[in-house]
Amino acid sequence: MNTTPHNERRRDFLEVDVPKALLCTTGAMSVLYFLVLTFLFRIGNPFLFALLIAGEVYHVWQVLTFIYTTWDTSVLPTPRATYTPPVDVFITVAGEPVALVEETLTAALSMRYPSFTVHILNDGFVAKKENWRDIEALAAKTGVHCITRTIAGGAKAGNINNAMRLTRSPLVAIFDADHVPHEDFLTKTVGYFADPKVGFVQTPQFYKNYATNYVTRGSWEQQELFFGPICRGKNRHHAATMCGTNMLISRRAIEEVGGMCTQSIAEDFITGMFLHERGYTSIYVPEVLAEGLATEDLLTYSKQQFRWARGALDVIFRYNPLLRSGLSWPQKIEYLASASFYLSGIVVLFDLLLPLVFFYTGAVPVQISGMLLAAVFLPYMFLTLYTIERASNFTFTFRSLGFSMGAWTIHLRALISAITYKKASFQITQKSAVSGRFTELVVPHLCYIALGAVGFVVALLRSGWSASLLNNTAWVLINTAIFVPFVVAAFPRGAHETPEPRRKRRLPVSQEIRYGELPRN
Amino acid sequence: MENSHEIKTTIYLALMMLASTLLSLCFFLHQSLRLDEAQSLWQTSRSAVGIITLVSQDVHVPLYHELLHAWRLFFGSSVPAARLLSMLFYLLGIPALYALGRLAYDRQIGLYAALLFSISPFMNWYGNEVRMYSLFTLLVICNQYCFVRLFKRMGDTHQGATWVGYMATALVGIFVHYFFFLNLLAQAAFYFLHADLFPARALRRFIIAAALVTAAFLPWVWFVHLQGQAQNQTPLLSIPTTINLFNTFAQFLFGFQSDAVNTFFLSLWPLTIIFAFLALRRGRLHSPVTEYLLLSAFLSVLIAFAISFITPVFVSRYLIFTVPALYLLLGNLFDSYAPQVGRFARSFVVLVMLVTLGVEIVSAATPVKEDYRDAATFIAQNATAQDVVALSAPFTIYPIEYYYRGQAPITTIPLWNRYAYGPIPPFSAEKLPAQVDSITADHQNVWLLLSYDQGYEQQVKAYFDTHYQRLLAITFSHDLTLYVYKIRYDTVRSQASAAVFAACMLPPKSDA
Repeated sequence: MNTTPHNERRRDFLEVDVPKALLCTTGAMSVLYFLVLTFLFRIGNPFLFALLIAGEVYHVWQVLTFIYTTWDTSVLPTPRATYTPPVDVFITVAGEPVALVEETLTAALSMRYPSFTVHILNDGFVAKKENWRDIEALAAKTGVHCITRTIAGGAKAGNINNAMRLTRSPLVAIFDADHVPHEDFLTKTVGYFADPKVGFVQTPQFYKNYATNYVTRGSWEQQELFFGPICRGKNRHHAATMCGTNMLISRRAIEEVGGMCTQSIAEDFITGMFLHERGYTSIYVPEVLAEGLATEDLLTYSKQQFRWARGALDVIFRYNPLLRSGLSWPQKIEYLASASFYLSGIVVLFDLLLPLVFFYTGAVPVQISGMLLAAVFLPYMFLTLYTIERASNFTFTFRSLGFSMGAWTIHLRALISAITYKKASFQITQKSAVSGRFTELVVPHLCYIALGAVGFVVALLRSGWSASLLNNTAWVLINTAIFVPFVVAAFPRGAHETPEPRRKRRLPVSQEIRYGELPRN
Repeated sequence: MENSHEIKTTIYLALMMLASTLLSLCFFLHQSLRLDEAQSLWQTSRSAVGIITLVSQDVHVPLYHELLHAWRLFFGSSVPAARLLSMLFYLLGIPALYALGRLAYDRQIGLYAALLFSISPFMNWYGNEVRMYSLFTLLVICNQYCFVRLFKRMGDTHQGATWVGYMATALVGIFVHYFFFLNLLAQAAFYFLHADLFPARALRRFIIAAALVTAAFLPWVWFVHLQGQAQNQTPLLSIPTTINLFNTFAQFLFGFQSDAVNTFFLSLWPLTIIFAFLALRRGRLHSPVTEYLLLSAFLSVLIAFAISFITPVFVSRYLIFTVPALYLLLGNLFDSYAPQVGRFARSFVVLVMLVTLGVEIVSAATPVKEDYRDAATFIAQNATAQDVVALSAPFTIYPIEYYYRGQAPITTIPLWNRYAYGPIPPFSAEKLPAQVDSITADHQNVWLLLSYDQGYEQQVKAYFDTHYQRLLAITFSHDLTLYVYKIRYDTVRSQASAAVFAACMLPPKSDA
């Protein structure tokens, strides 16, 4: 068991305690706010009103589904400790540094469990990675079975499916090359499969490098909310999210759904849904049992976000849970709730546009007089924030909020890509920092700030000082403040980056790394 | 090290108190008497027993009035002397709030809250008013101090002294202002949310405290019930709107500002979300004391707001007791920010408060300023024995008669004999002509001073405008306007006075 000084970081986000009264109040306030906004004010510009209401429907949905998910986070079946079938342990590799793989491999071999076999799933060859032979050499040196694919296809899912065909154990543990398992990983997860209905067991995706720089901290802080209350809450509905690493799956279940899904870049998420559809249950074990690496720069972070967003949006547009008869209604809601998070791009865009439209045209979505809206909105907002804080055991930060909302451009791109069924490439998640400034990624944010500043002057010249002008200015300032963490992350020096020079290398921002064409990890 | 901190803290607190004292001496003590203050002076000029009877017909409880009565016996009956009593309580509130802040959070937050308290335009205003509000605030701070000690389990095992302090402040507090009960209500709500924080047998002791408070207060309730006329003595309050709700918090922070300035502050309400966002920092655990202060600062205000839909009682000064909790919460909020952001936020709020304090002092548009002194002096200098002074609303006679030394007799509209038992007669549009006739008979000019609109001010003014020739209109302060009407044309004297008014006898203030 790891005993670093930061152990509390591994536990804090998993300690969830939200009073139900708080959840009820927050839910009621969100609905009240929506009703007040929708029905109590005179409609201004109908188009803007429609945009506003669409955004608010989304916000209320987000709040209510969060409450629904986190209503009871205590559900966790008891594993049977005596159940110890053989396990195949897969370490998926596609060009990661040998030292990184070796660390994971060594940890996997050190796991305490009666019967398990470690396999390296080496995709370096098909990914045209220079070090694919080094990986084979590492496997030979450590006496580990190495499965090197020679025919590309299906990305990571294809790699796993290929290995499934060549192995036999009833359970399969999967780790990405950088996710180092704890020695008790198997002893703490296998016992759940004593129940034959369990299709997979997922554990948190902890980033041991969270403290490396501004981006890693932001990435991890975002993850804490998901792997804390949200994943814990999904246990209640047997709707744990399959995350692709740090997990244990039932071979029988996976084979029943035709292997890992190779049709989407979110192969794990969708495979999990297929398992649930076939009646398998899932369990999220709220304990850090493996430790990986967060993205260390905004470019890599953006690519990862795009991949997650595109995959999640595929769930809505191609595999809509509502149309999948095998899922229970709670499972449908859970999948929709998770996937719809990535619709935030368009909603943030609506929210950003409203004050700008006022500045440049004077049009408003609703005619508001008095402070009724504030009287409802502020308690709603504060309660929501407090609920999130309580749910995440006070690990949710302004930076994670900034990262979530700052990524609106990425989510928007993913949405367009998903709607147009544009084929998405499997973007590599770099395990080392890419140096440089990523101004391109924050151009929309900087443009928004500039448009806001100019718009303020335009509106001032048009109609002078007014309550509406001040109010809209305040909204622009809020949006600007929220963008600050994301913009700061784009300029590493300003973000107090503390990179490890030996791992830094320069990569053009525009370079696309495609699975099967270029190295992946 | 600790000693050095203590010395520094003492110096800081002393400087805050000194600054507030200087503000009082230079500005606030010498302002014109306001209506409420005049009422306090009038009520406390009676005997101790008479005060109880008078106050029971008012909307207040009598302890402050009795204290003021005694104070005036020793320190004289001038307005500044009376205000000094309030100032004393206000000054004591500064170290008291520091102590509460230090107990609730830490020294820094305590000092910051005390600083806000000492430069607060709102607190400075009521810290220099001949009313009970500064005493009310001080008692609430002391009561909250004891309450926080109870659930933080400070002191000896049984916390005997703390319980005594708690009960004593509660007993005294309920006789200073009715709204002290809202403070107790917030505490009760907190107790039921966090009973586990309190020492064993706390519930029993709270019940004892509640029984004592009830037993002590019931006789007063009975006595007020017997008097049964408070509702007719009070200024008209309307049902509050959400604007009033937010204005209250704006006043707590920025004092009394003109409508334009208030609109500016209120329009920026979305920015409060940023304050909340910036507080999102890892590991900033909420504390029970924060929950308590939130209840104290907001629950009471919301309850008063809700009650006002049945009986309007929503007046920002009645809610002054929530200000200490609000300042402590602000201090704690800024303390939760990243250091640089926190420093900026703290300095920004202090700066804005200082500016608004200055504006409140200097600006003629400050809405709570009531310049009865200038109005009375002007009338005294210009009205003659053949004229009559008519005041509406009637209770504004208190501040006017305090300053007025003129020859023209004073009356009110509606007509009201203060020395007769009973409430102020209600306004009647039907009786107005007869009342005006009785007032104007045998007089040359009417000096009509309108303030504190009770819902009929426009009717009174319209009546005079349509029946008499208006010679002059002067606004002395916000909502305090003097109109002079010519009643008779048949004498040389009246012609002469018309000529004088025609020559535009300009007062020092604005001329409408």
